[in-house]
Amino acid sequence: MKFSISRDALLKPLNLVAGVVERRQTLPILANVLMVLDGERLSLTGTDLEVELVGRVQLAASGDSGEVTVPARKLVDICKSLPEGSDIDFSVQDGKVTVKSGRSRFTLSTLPAREFPNVEDSMGTHQFTLKQGELKRLIDRTGFAMAQQDVRYYLNGMLWELSGKQLRVVATDGHRLALCTLPHKVDVNGDTQVILPRKGVLELSRLLLEEDAEIAVVIGSNHIRATTNDFTFTSKLVDGKFPDYQRVLPRSPDKSVFGSRLELRQAFTRTAILSNEKYRGVRLKLTDNSLDIVANNPEQEEAEETVPVEYRGDSLEIGFNVSYLLDVLGVLSGEKVKLSLSDPNSSALLEESDEGDSLYVVMPMRL
Amino acid sequence: MEDQRKIIHIDADSFYASVETRENPALAGKPIAVGGRPDRRGVIATANYEARKFGVHSAMASSRAMALCPTLLILPPRFELYRAVSGQFHDIFREYTELIEPLSLDEAYLDVSGSDCMQGSATLIAGEIRRRVREELGLTVSAGIAPNKFLAKVASDWNKPDGMFTIAPGQVAEFVLELPVSKINGVGRVTADKLRRMGVETCGDLQQLPLEKLVERFGKYGRRLHDVARGVDKRRVQTSRVRKSISVERTYARDIDAMPAMVAAVDELLLELAGRFGRIADRYFPTKRVVKIKYQDFTQTTLEEAIGASGEPWNDAASFHRLVTTAWPRGAKPVRLLGAGLRLQPRSAEDLDQLSLFEQA
Repeated sequence: MKFSISRDALLKPLNLVAGVVERRQTLPILANVLMVLDGERLSLTGTDLEVELVGRVQLAASGDSGEVTVPARKLVDICKSLPEGSDIDFSVQDGKVTVKSGRSRFTLSTLPAREFPNVEDSMGTHQFTLKQGELKRLIDRTGFAMAQQDVRYYLNGMLWELSGKQLRVVATDGHRLALCTLPHKVDVNGDTQVILPRKGVLELSRLLLEEDAEIAVVIGSNHIRATTNDFTFTSKLVDGKFPDYQRVLPRSPDKSVFGSRLELRQAFTRTAILSNEKYRGVRLKLTDNSLDIVANNPEQEEAEETVPVEYRGDSLEIGFNVSYLLDVLGVLSGEKVKLSLSDPNSSALLEESDEGDSLYVVMPMRL
Repeated sequence: MEDQRKIIHIDADSFYASVETRENPALAGKPIAVGGRPDRRGVIATANYEARKFGVHSAMASSRAMALCPTLLILPPRFELYRAVSGQFHDIFREYTELIEPLSLDEAYLDVSGSDCMQGSATLIAGEIRRRVREELGLTVSAGIAPNKFLAKVASDWNKPDGMFTIAPGQVAEFVLELPVSKINGVGRVTADKLRRMGVETCGDLQQLPLEKLVERFGKYGRRLHDVARGVDKRRVQTSRVRKSISVERTYARDIDAMPAMVAAVDELLLELAGRFGRIADRYFPTKRVVKIKYQDFTQTTLEEAIGASGEPWNDAASFHRLVTTAWPRGAKPVRLLGAGLRLQPRSAEDLDQLSLFEQA
């Protein structure tokens, strides 16, 4: 195998692909990136057996085709540290890869390409296409609510639901839930629910750089695959049953509060400073047209904020983990936010006031 | 005499399998097991008594179990369900005593010394618990009643399944005389073999060995052997303690000296660890993974790593494999014992003040 490529053309896909490669692996070859050259089409593959990413680059001139695997981290570091605009020559000889650029020369060890594991593929059952920017919004709006390390392993990921040609994603860690629906229908054959593992979601989101370009999604029984012009992303699905999220959406909260998103966010950020560092509890006192936010910490220090809101009705005192509220206010946009409550033991619903595409449910804390 | 306590050891009969049968009565009378898939190097967690007739037992490779019993139905474990049922056991236990020490989802010690229920009779309480579990939960448990934990555990196994056995304080001395040493918790095949070579088959034989000799041969464990041989066990029923770690380990009949076998052994341990940790997962966060390797020559090494924040599950098999592949070459000798565990951090009571979206068992 032998070819030339500009550093800058190589670096972007190489970086993305190397991101999948785990620093600690079970098999030595999983630390490597697979490079396959077919004429002037170069593809780079990284995998951790759960998530596989293939990046594709078009070379300026056709090289000698072939395939090889090289240490991913080292190759990234070398390419990164070469000067911008430089050209790189690759050649493979006697089981070594030589990387040459200007007066620099590196010889890297290789492992045979045929030993590189494939993420086993399953037949696609559902496929649809959407814009990268649309998918990125779905993930950005909900990803923060995915669980980490939960024994309920199916929460350590994101539900993708296709129902009546509508794509909806849901994430929850059992204390709060985030849901976002693609505003327009997708052209898809039938309904399904799958759970993407947390790592797959995070990796996929890094790839969605070209807002208006399309991404084609194929869902199979065990895998999901997403393809753009530049890459193919494959991830195993989590084998488990996601909780029935419909059941935990507050049914008829009787208290609707409208407030300035920015003012609330700033008030919560400030009170959070004196909340208990670990449990992050804050107390909300809702009265006519006013929301008081109070935080105390074990040192008996106290923060109090009063935020004007639109509300008329019974007063209510309710506690929340302020981080959960801040997470939501951080991803919402728009001037106003709508907060729907019923009682101190029932969940709160947060949404953009103007018929947004996202819903957030946060369970209170007992204070 | 100090040992005038009344301890009950409750042990559910083929717990996971029985729960599955209860959930799906069509399975009754058929050989079933709960465990991992044979084509994925799974192991059996529990087999019901029909399956045991074929020689199927827990910790056996599922593929081997299928070979022994081709009609065996292996169900994937549903730990949440088992946890819920275990919680129901505990609800019943708590009506008789607060002193409960859970050993696993299906096993617990109860100290009923201070109980006024059933005229203070531990045997009657155990019978009542067994009856209620059968009638209210549709499952059977075996019970052992004795003045201490060691004997209670031996007794619960005596008439298993669906049986009970009482060792009254006055019967202890006679009972232990004929008790095979293999019944002692902690005496595995290796220790039993060693004892046999010393001419010891029963606890009565064991009583003949002086403490010095036992300590010289078995270290700290020698003292425990000396005690239990006489039916003495002063360990308290510990209701709750703050755990710093949880682990499972196994000594192998034949030393392991090849990587694939090592990896398979780790997978078996992980299945067990999942069951053990699952029961306390609502109270602890896992912070680190740990493996322990004891070599043929009894030297040992442990290796641990922090659990990353990228969402990899604590029981990520690849991570445990990596730990064991890194740790093993330190000694580069055949391995007699492997352990897998987690370092834990307690979730604080205040955490529980955060309400949950989904009701939990």
